[in-house]
Amino acid sequence: MLTDREILSVLEMLQNEHLDVRAVTMGISLFDCASDDLERFSANIQRKITRLAGQLVNVCDEVGEKYGIPVVNKRIAVSPMAVVGAPFNAEEMVVAAQALDAAAREVKIDFLGGFSALVEKGMSRGDLALMDAIPEALTRTERVCASVNVASTRAGINMDAVLKMGAQIKQAAALTADRDGLACAKLCVFANIPQDVPFMAGAYLGVGEADAVINVGVSGPGVVKKAIDRAVAQNPHLDLGELSEIIKRTAYKVTRVGELIGREVAQRVGQRFGVVDLSLAPTPNVGDSVGEIFQSMGLLSIGVPGTTAALAMLNDAVKKGGAFASSHVGGLSGAFVPVSEDLNISEAAEKGYLSIEKLEAITSVCSVGLDMVAIPGDTSAETLSAIIADEMAIGVINKKTTATRIIPVPGKGAGEHAYFGGLLGESVIMPVNTAAEPNPFIRRGGLIPSPIHSLRN
Amino acid sequence: MKKAVISVLGTDGPGIIATVTDVLYKLDCNIENVSQTILQTEFSGIFIIGMDQSLGEAVLEGHLRHALADRHMTVHVKHLPPAPPMECPTCDPFVITTRGPDQKGLVARITRIIADFGVNVTNLQAVFKGGDDPDANIMIYEVDIPVTTDTEALRKALRAKAAELELTISIQHKNVFEAINRI
Repeated sequence: MLTDREILSVLEMLQNEHLDVRAVTMGISLFDCASDDLERFSANIQRKITRLAGQLVNVCDEVGEKYGIPVVNKRIAVSPMAVVGAPFNAEEMVVAAQALDAAAREVKIDFLGGFSALVEKGMSRGDLALMDAIPEALTRTERVCASVNVASTRAGINMDAVLKMGAQIKQAAALTADRDGLACAKLCVFANIPQDVPFMAGAYLGVGEADAVINVGVSGPGVVKKAIDRAVAQNPHLDLGELSEIIKRTAYKVTRVGELIGREVAQRVGQRFGVVDLSLAPTPNVGDSVGEIFQSMGLLSIGVPGTTAALAMLNDAVKKGGAFASSHVGGLSGAFVPVSEDLNISEAAEKGYLSIEKLEAITSVCSVGLDMVAIPGDTSAETLSAIIADEMAIGVINKKTTATRIIPVPGKGAGEHAYFGGLLGESVIMPVNTAAEPNPFIRRGGLIPSPIHSLRN
Repeated sequence: MKKAVISVLGTDGPGIIATVTDVLYKLDCNIENVSQTILQTEFSGIFIIGMDQSLGEAVLEGHLRHALADRHMTVHVKHLPPAPPMECPTCDPFVITTRGPDQKGLVARITRIIADFGVNVTNLQAVFKGGDDPDANIMIYEVDIPVTTDTEALRKALRAKAAELELTISIQHKNVFEAINRI
């Protein structure tokens, strides 16, 4: 028999603290769709996606209804298109992206990831074609997301790819200038990309994965914040060890929800269950913010001194609670601090508490990267590449995933606002240090070697 | 051996269970199940016992009344015939919760719908402190919904009734509460 406290605490999380399952993402391997005939290839991928994911949205809604927990986003991640579509040139890659977009529309999911290339050590013909196609592909499609892994701890940093991605981001922004550079919001540059991320824009299905798999991204920043608030209200002198314990327990509960829903969806669609991604993912709503957690812990705002320590503790506690709650944890599993997607974080940027440099610093202890950061449109491709290189270095040296999703907003300068709409939110445009232009270091290209694996200081 | 069910009802205080079970012990009865609860000041207990064929239910009831005389408790003993094999449909356990302003007839109107759909309430907890504070007026029904039930229609009927009564209602599979709260 359940106690009334158990039932009411769950209802509280659902009705007042934005507890939901942020994303159920079906990974679909497209390797058996390969063909050097573009038309046939497009037909193959559309057929496979609609066959496997045709019922995904309905099933997620049914399971959500059964448990009273909404599944906010239903998504698809496919095998890296640069590998599956290796015979194609850039123009043909754009057509392939449109085929993916059409399939996504047909099965009614909001985003499909996997227009991706893995180039940490070098770029093959298919990789180059895909990278060249990215600006056009993201402009001409609505739901396709792209990612490029340019670095890994094992391989080092492919600076040629970093340089190229700076230019592609600029071009993608220019092509969607009328929408504040929206195409860039669907493009992530990664170090150490995981093979099973359920979250966009970085989701793709790794080559070591099954034919189809269900991965789940939980959420719950609002639940964590309220749990901290309640505990502090009861005992204003709570120390950080005690606070960490509260976060851990809350993360356990949130993760259990993801696991429950994910397993049932997987069973109903007849695919295997993959992982729960333990990331705290915010939305641009009050009460559903990672930034607000910092304030509940006692900081004036995210970005002020103390932020890095607070995030390190928050993230570690989330992982500990989540790891206990689920046997299969994966994906990014690190707090997201997407500036435009989190109302509180974008306010911190606007008030000047949070700079790009501080954002970069906190990614070294555990957030996933420079995410949804709007910067001035006149930032050069070279500076963009340099920012990417810095972020990749943090991931490579710390053996963790880092990523950038930066939007140089065309025609707008620091202090102005960029609007991306929906979950992508809006943000003040953050100033960038451009003092180093021109930047011969970045232009040298080549491969920054993989780091030494001893002498760990 | 035969079985009987005993119900004991009255103002709560220390020693009720001790008194009842002492009588049962002395009459060589065997307790099989006990459930007791306290609502505000009132004690309520149900005992299922095994007892000798020769002991009459009325005699047992007399002994219990006598032992509990000072406490002014209501005692009832009923013969429990061997249970016929029950047709138990396969069910899914759900939890229905409502919150909203207090008024008379809330339980009656919600349970009428639950009953009309052939759904069995296995546990009900309700608190009505009165007034309009939704958190002060809560009903929690644990129910078994036969898998053959049209759950969509049940949800619709419950939601319509809840809207009419200005209640916030949620209908969730029990597993979610166990997953979140229990290891």
